[in-house]
Amino acid sequence: MKDEGRALILTAVGLLLPAVCTMYWLGAAKKSLAESKGAASDVAIATASDDTYCTPALKQILRRVAGACGLLQEGGRGCKPGDAKSVAALSGDDFNALFNPLAHRAKLVQFDVDNTELDPGGQSAVEQAWGDQRGASFFFVVARASSDGDPVKNQELSQARAQAVLNHLQQKFNDPELKQEVGLLWLGEEYAQLGEEFCTWQRSRDAACTVKDINRSAFIAWIDCAI
Amino acid sequence: MSLDDDDDDRLGLRDDDDDDDKGSPKARLWLFLTAGVAALGAVFAAVSTSDFIEHLDRQVHSIHCSFIPGAGQQIGESGCRTVMMSPYSSVLRSSMWGGLPISLLAFAVFAYLAVRALDFALRKDLAKRDTLYLVAATLLPVLMSAIYGYIAMSVIGAVCKLCVGVYLTSIGSFVLALIAHSQADKKVGYNAPRSPPYVRWFAEGVVFVAVLALVYVGFAPTSEKSLEGCGNLAKKDDPNQIMLHFGGPAGAVKSVAVLDPLCPACKAFDNRMKTSELDKKLSQDIVLFPLDKTCNWNVKESLHPGACAVAEAMLCDRDNAKKILDYAFARQEELIAEAKADESKLRDRLTREFPGVKGCLGTAQARLKVTKSLKWAVSNALPVLTPQLFIGDRRVCDEDTDLGLEYTVTAMVEHPAPATKGKR
Repeated sequence: MKDEGRALILTAVGLLLPAVCTMYWLGAAKKSLAESKGAASDVAIATASDDTYCTPALKQILRRVAGACGLLQEGGRGCKPGDAKSVAALSGDDFNALFNPLAHRAKLVQFDVDNTELDPGGQSAVEQAWGDQRGASFFFVVARASSDGDPVKNQELSQARAQAVLNHLQQKFNDPELKQEVGLLWLGEEYAQLGEEFCTWQRSRDAACTVKDINRSAFIAWIDCAI
Repeated sequence: MSLDDDDDDRLGLRDDDDDDDKGSPKARLWLFLTAGVAALGAVFAAVSTSDFIEHLDRQVHSIHCSFIPGAGQQIGESGCRTVMMSPYSSVLRSSMWGGLPISLLAFAVFAYLAVRALDFALRKDLAKRDTLYLVAATLLPVLMSAIYGYIAMSVIGAVCKLCVGVYLTSIGSFVLALIAHSQADKKVGYNAPRSPPYVRWFAEGVVFVAVLALVYVGFAPTSEKSLEGCGNLAKKDDPNQIMLHFGGPAGAVKSVAVLDPLCPACKAFDNRMKTSELDKKLSQDIVLFPLDKTCNWNVKESLHPGACAVAEAMLCDRDNAKKILDYAFARQEELIAEAKADESKLRDRLTREFPGVKGCLGTAQARLKVTKSLKWAVSNALPVLTPQLFIGDRRVCDEDTDLGLEYTVTAMVEHPAPATKGKR
């Protein structure tokens, strides 16, 4: 074979081989791209927390309470004992039992007798609890008063205690979303008094604790339920 | 381009036996070897090209990373992957998705050199001028190897084994061509009546490169999805001021990058943005999304322990947030290891390195800022992954944040509205 003829064949083969390989690879990539277009993504989407303790029953109660107390509409209006009792449609003990799963998350801010001011320990507890929001959407403040004294005054006391928590949050954090996130319930002495077992929860004071002490308080916790 | 016998003497290439080797049998042997080594270079380049092309389907694939072509498939991070994903692995990246791979051009050049060396080895009247051309031709891959080797070591900071194979076969081809030239019969050399068709040979080489490039451009898969993006920001406002403004040139298109300071993919993404100078086309806002369960309820296990602490530090000292991010990117493995052992030590370290975070890091306010940052992702229903990039309101598809980044970002910047159909 002449040099020129062989050179031509070599060149043709040398050129075709890479070209065919490249076309084959590109064809495979094209096919794979077409097949992948309809595939669903298995990447999770970021969502608000919805913890395992958020049973349908709990969510229903939370939705009723939050809705009736204005949280879901206007935000932060608050809810007095009668409202809470009627919408929860639960006994006081059952109402409190709803919050048992929050034992690791909630704090009990204690107040002095006839007093609505947060002491330094109370302020610190409020700040710590608020800072531990994570994926929660609602911050519940459930304030109470002990059974000592006039029920009407106790209702006012518990309302002022709930308000003291809200005021401190507003002052400390200046969070534009605060009013959409904080729900206030003041129960006075009329409904869902805490039992002594709540003395073992995280409290703002280390001192000894009685049933009356633990009810002169505001229960604060982020609720990890998508309601 | 010519070299005479005196030049050969100067180069030490002259062989006293040349006069006795009519037909240059020794030179032919070296030419066969040159062709073989060039063919091996073509195989290395082909494997690299095949790996590159496989990624044009926008999926994650293993790539070959071994000194033995076709062996050493790896799915994880490797020097080969780093080099392939770098902007230096291809040209025209802003014009087509992924660009035109350099390995394809190397494939064409080596195939051409193998053909040329084989042709010379088989021709009846092998002349010294012929082998001289081969010496000159094999210099091209040597020069390119020197340039790319330097870039890999000094700019990318990673070495790809397949590329090393290409570098070595480039040098091997050149050395063997040089030896073949020294062994070629000088009587059929420079004074031979036949004039070597240097121009035609060179043109053949150009045709090899051009044909493969045209095949690639003509058959590379396209996807309109890259330009349309993958969703939009539903709530781009920032009432809680969690965005960190890294800025950009005046009039630049606004972008939002969702990052985890200890995520290796984010570091690689940041490097790609810088090396391809895309950061100069965008005004960058950063939203932190640490994939660390200590603050992020969306992850069951901490993918990057310590990321929450670094995110807090960045949000505490906003003026130095970029410095903190660069610091974290540069020491990701070290910081993650430290956080795994004892996160408080990481926090102490951050306070030492960046005194501006003192009195803020670890406080409720700092933790809340990170929470608000994560909530921003929730309100926009973002996928739980990093990095994510938004150009204007449009989300760059995840599969476009590596090889296709330059093309996609450039197209989105130039076409703020959904791109026209059919544009590549």
